[in-house]
Amino acid sequence: MTNRVAIVAVEQLGPEECANDNVRDLTFRVSKNLLNQVGLKREDVGTIVSSSSDFWQGISCSNSVYYDALGAYLKNSSKTEEDGAFAFIYGAMRIMSGHYDTCIVHAITKGSEIPGLSTLTNLYADPFFQRPIGLDDVSTAALQAMLYMNKYKITEEQAAKVVVKNLGNALDNPYAHKKGKFSVEDVLKSRTMAYPIKELDCATYSDGTCALLLTSEEKAKKMTKNPVWLRGMGWCVDHQFFGDRDLLDGALRKAARMAYATAGIKSPSKEINVAEICEPYSFQELLYYEQLGFCGEGEGGKFIDKGNTTMKGKLPVNPSGGVLAHNPYVARGLLRIAEAALQLMGKAEKHQVDGVKTALAHSTHGLAGQHHSVVILGK
Amino acid sequence: MARRAAIIGVGQTKHGRREDVNYVELIYEAVKAAIADAGISPDDIEAVAQGSMPSPMEGVNANHLYWADAMTAFGKPLLRTATCGSVGMSIAHLATYHITSGMFDMVLAVGAQKMFEGDPQGTMATVADPWFQRWFIAGAPGVFSMQAHQYMYRYNLPEERVREAAARISVNHHDNAMDNPYAHLRFKVTMEDVMKSRIIAYPTRLMDVCPSSDGACAVIFASEEKAKKMGRKVAWVKGMNYAGDEHFFGDSDKVVWEAAIVAAKKAYQQAGITNPRKELDVAEVYNPFTYQELIFYECFGFCDFGKACELVEDGVVLRGGELPCDPSGGVLCTNPIGATGLLRVAEAALQVTGRAGDRQIAGAKTALAHAMGGACQFNGIMIVGSEL
Repeated sequence: MTNRVAIVAVEQLGPEECANDNVRDLTFRVSKNLLNQVGLKREDVGTIVSSSSDFWQGISCSNSVYYDALGAYLKNSSKTEEDGAFAFIYGAMRIMSGHYDTCIVHAITKGSEIPGLSTLTNLYADPFFQRPIGLDDVSTAALQAMLYMNKYKITEEQAAKVVVKNLGNALDNPYAHKKGKFSVEDVLKSRTMAYPIKELDCATYSDGTCALLLTSEEKAKKMTKNPVWLRGMGWCVDHQFFGDRDLLDGALRKAARMAYATAGIKSPSKEINVAEICEPYSFQELLYYEQLGFCGEGEGGKFIDKGNTTMKGKLPVNPSGGVLAHNPYVARGLLRIAEAALQLMGKAEKHQVDGVKTALAHSTHGLAGQHHSVVILGK
Repeated sequence: MARRAAIIGVGQTKHGRREDVNYVELIYEAVKAAIADAGISPDDIEAVAQGSMPSPMEGVNANHLYWADAMTAFGKPLLRTATCGSVGMSIAHLATYHITSGMFDMVLAVGAQKMFEGDPQGTMATVADPWFQRWFIAGAPGVFSMQAHQYMYRYNLPEERVREAAARISVNHHDNAMDNPYAHLRFKVTMEDVMKSRIIAYPTRLMDVCPSSDGACAVIFASEEKAKKMGRKVAWVKGMNYAGDEHFFGDSDKVVWEAAIVAAKKAYQQAGITNPRKELDVAEVYNPFTYQELIFYECFGFCDFGKACELVEDGVVLRGGELPCDPSGGVLCTNPIGATGLLRVAEAALQVTGRAGDRQIAGAKTALAHAMGGACQFNGIMIVGSEL
């Protein structure tokens, strides 16, 4: 990579705080808190990239309403839509170009203020062929799950272990929305949403926002002793039509390949110490282990059976509780990056993993993961 | 010094009421044209930058996912931006940063809109915040008419004089569109036609307002290394900036409009332009409303504040003038909003590479492209030139 990019500060607001305020006020608070952490003034910030979505916010041109609240008044500030990881990628590219040496990246969604997940994700589908069938987030995920389970003999119990792990981890994350001690049996007994996906296999629908301060290498060294470095990133999109896609070998492998190539990572399972994976449905975490190269094809179930991805495992995944625990839709991708950065800064408090030198953050959106991004961070 | 970027190919659809195609087909028409124009293969495109108006207007959530295949994005990195009317410029900026970051060497930028399929004014009414402004700031014409009033009042200009200058802009741009085979509205209008057309929101009349169009635009950006290998003229990105001001309409001055002034000023600095009127050869100003174009002339430093009418009266910004604006006919004659800002960039690139056909401004070397969006909130600029 050309110019190095650092993360010097991370700020997030929890679901309770987000429930009681509007998008504009929350945006002001999260960006102001972020700058206060490093003693920066609004005037010191070079550029800002936010991420929100008009559908997921119920306001057209969704950044218009919070533009000045974010501190962007008369600044070169843009908006990427649908995935907070996009804001990070774009913000990083702005720094890499050498045009700016500081950039706030921000994402927000208030799930409590908009129509349900099914309605909004059905609108992802093209209006002629796929939408009338009723394809939505959970129904497409269920088709993907069936394919995955049938092809590789992945079991519902193995998927349930992801829920147990992540909602358990979330007990140690004050910003998580849904948390608790659940058993595999609890998951299996929860009501079916779209077979084989049960209610506890599904992410909740949350309010949340977060912001990161990115800087150039020179600035980072002046601002903190403990910067987190961007080592690599990759992102990729799959076909729109569901039948055109290989649901078990899609865009994620390509996104990961690009990220690993830029980061110079050859053996992901050995070189990555912690991963924050975007898993709106439990079985997807297993599938994504494979596609991220943590284990071989069809081995996602065994990988969790061995306990590799628990807090004490060799590659802890989602110490924050992941998306199953907290799903402010557009912000969830940026939250994965924020959590990965906190791990590297040693600031993840009760859900800190020891000795983290390299962390991976993954994000996805679209039906059954049409779009994926992977970000590699290091010390 | 940051890495440089150039525009190596542009494509646009025939704009208008395009009931013959759906979104995907419309977009592919522009993408295919851009790829052919650049003389490359779809496989040469390494990444795609996409954008559109608020997605309720397209009726598809996260429409980059729907458009992915039409943009030849399958298996490639794809990012989406959305900044209302200014989105076309935001797409161009996004694509440029892909190059200047050093991550990519060839990137496709795509914007599109089928305004006849959605409810544009209904969607735009929801740009205003839901608590205070939405009740009275609904849709575009009301906002921009208020701005026109503010302008006349600020400088104590006789209404008849401003009316006439705005009408002259309309006549000029409609004449220009006759030379643009892609333009939506291709008919001549007279001063009388404009001034007697029906009121939309006083003082704005029908012929002061852009149409609703279906259309798409695709632009291919490349690194310096790749661009130089093209073996033909390319348009270099010389400067770009973007700025927005307060969300609440009453909080900012829309006459001495800081977002427009700042956006232009920093872009000029990057491009080394100190006297825009002299150094720019042509400008594609985003002009959905004739009155607003007068304000932009001033904010972009084409003349002093309060003097835009003179610029029109003296013909400086008209055809054959010192700084002709919108030789393509501009937004006033073609407005598929999600593509409109990108069309300004494409037209500017065509001008500086001498490929603008009948609408070519002879000898154009440096051009300004502009887009505006939000509830009269955002402005983006890109300066392109024939020399690096």
